[in-house]
Amino acid sequence: MNNTASAIQVTGLSKTFRGVFGGREVRALDDVSLEVNTGEIFGLLGPNGAGKTTLVKILLGALHPSAGSGRISGHDMAKAPARAKVGFLPENHRFPQYHTGGQMLVCYGGMAGLSQIEAKRRSDHLLALVGMAQWRHTKIKKYSKGMMQRLGLAQALLNDPEIVFLDEPTDGVDPIGRHEIRAILLNLKKQGKTIFLNSHLLAEVESVCDRVAILDRGRLIKTGPVSGLIGTKPAYRIELTALTDDIADKVKAKYPHAQIEQNAIAISFHEARDVNGLIDLLRGRNAELLSVTPIKVSLEESFMQLIRGNVPHD
Amino acid sequence: MTKFLAILYDSFLEIRNGKILYLYGCVVLFLLMLFTLIPNVNIMGEDVLNSDFLTPDLVAKVNGYFFDGYWGFVMFLMVFGTAWLLPSYLSRGRIELALSKPIDRFSLLSMKFLSVYLIMLSILTVMSVPIWLILSLRLGVFAWSFFYSLFFSYVIFLCVFAIVFFFGVLSRSGALAVMGYFVISVVGSILTGREAVYGFLGETVWTTILDTIYYILPKLGEMSDNYTALIAGDGLINGFAIWTSLAFTAVIYLLTLLVFNRRDY
Repeated sequence: MNNTASAIQVTGLSKTFRGVFGGREVRALDDVSLEVNTGEIFGLLGPNGAGKTTLVKILLGALHPSAGSGRISGHDMAKAPARAKVGFLPENHRFPQYHTGGQMLVCYGGMAGLSQIEAKRRSDHLLALVGMAQWRHTKIKKYSKGMMQRLGLAQALLNDPEIVFLDEPTDGVDPIGRHEIRAILLNLKKQGKTIFLNSHLLAEVESVCDRVAILDRGRLIKTGPVSGLIGTKPAYRIELTALTDDIADKVKAKYPHAQIEQNAIAISFHEARDVNGLIDLLRGRNAELLSVTPIKVSLEESFMQLIRGNVPHD
Repeated sequence: MTKFLAILYDSFLEIRNGKILYLYGCVVLFLLMLFTLIPNVNIMGEDVLNSDFLTPDLVAKVNGYFFDGYWGFVMFLMVFGTAWLLPSYLSRGRIELALSKPIDRFSLLSMKFLSVYLIMLSILTVMSVPIWLILSLRLGVFAWSFFYSLFFSYVIFLCVFAIVFFFGVLSRSGALAVMGYFVISVVGSILTGREAVYGFLGETVWTTILDTIYYILPKLGEMSDNYTALIAGDGLINGFAIWTSLAFTAVIYLLTLLVFNRRDY
């Protein structure tokens, strides 16, 4: 776990919330260890209450861990220098309503250590990047949810961070805005930035993330590349003009795990080329093939299986 | 310095946005109009405002008594004006953003404290100097020692604000911050007259307890007695009240930092 290329390292992190006056204890994080490499987009997934936001808040100093440690860019996460090159867009943020968009960015830029001139220059650029330039002088209280998210993203990028933590960045944003935000994230990745993405939108995570971690009830149940989660074996669906009982029996005899449907066979193999053996068998029986379609298991299906415990936890 | 200026700017915008500024403005405007338009009284053929009767000492004393009451009222308003600032700053969705910046918690809270304190001092000054000026012009005597007592009002407001700040961090509620301040203020005032009941109590453990609480709590009422003395040129008359109150302020401020540093947000 001591890799210098790691942007974020977390070791044995636990967090227990204790009720007031001896109330019920809630274990929000349980011995979580993970590593995020520099320059990658890392997605953190999990159902509500899994501990995703707790993990991000601990990393950024808003919560104190009950046990464990973490490092951001090599610095102890509990110390201020760890946050020097970090940007953060929190979930359910409440930006001060008395600010205009421009004022807010100048304020938070200053708090991040930028001079007023630099903060203004950066805010002009970022407001244009997120499509909010024309709303610069409008009070935040007049912004819609989507506009707030765009402003939040600009705020997170204000200090030209090396690591960006985004908690539900496209929440409330329309499809065009989501597409734009995805493009911004991919562009940041090209610039070598590390992005830690917390999102419920699995399709979004699937489309931009290099690696993901899945949290469930405070425990890390899976970490790995997205490609590793969305289909570990090649699978196909073969459609035929007619699937006779004779052919179905032969297929079942040779491939017991195949699923026989009406005029179709769904099957997975260890290697993609193994599908040729099945095609040869079908042709040998004079079956007329209509199509051979690869089946892709979506991240959502894989996620649901993991959470329901259908797949053994690694 | 850029971080402090950013927090100062943010605090300024937040206070400016609050409606209580209008109330401060109305109070000043009312008093300015009152003192400008108040008619000169003629007693036995002599204008009171231009008579030899108004010696500098007397004018200084009048100033002292007036500003003693006035600053008490202004600070009462300022407690309401500042009590909600910290709970709002600590609200969910806002404090996480501040904590994610490269500022340690001690510095963050101290900068917030200092920025609000400085803004409130500016407001206190703006609410006081024009009134003193009008009073001086009308009476024809400038009691410059007023500025000593103005500076002393900053010291008293430091104690007041530290208490409000402490309860704001502790409870994250503006209402509870106001209540906390008033409980301490009222208990402190009552204990000033504790010796009146010692005759009934005799030398019991209660007298020791009441004395101890009295020594610990800030003595805001007794401190304000210094206004009149300062304007009259008599200097500070109750050093004990000042030093014990400042010690209380230092302790409660450290406690505030400690609570903020240990809290989860």
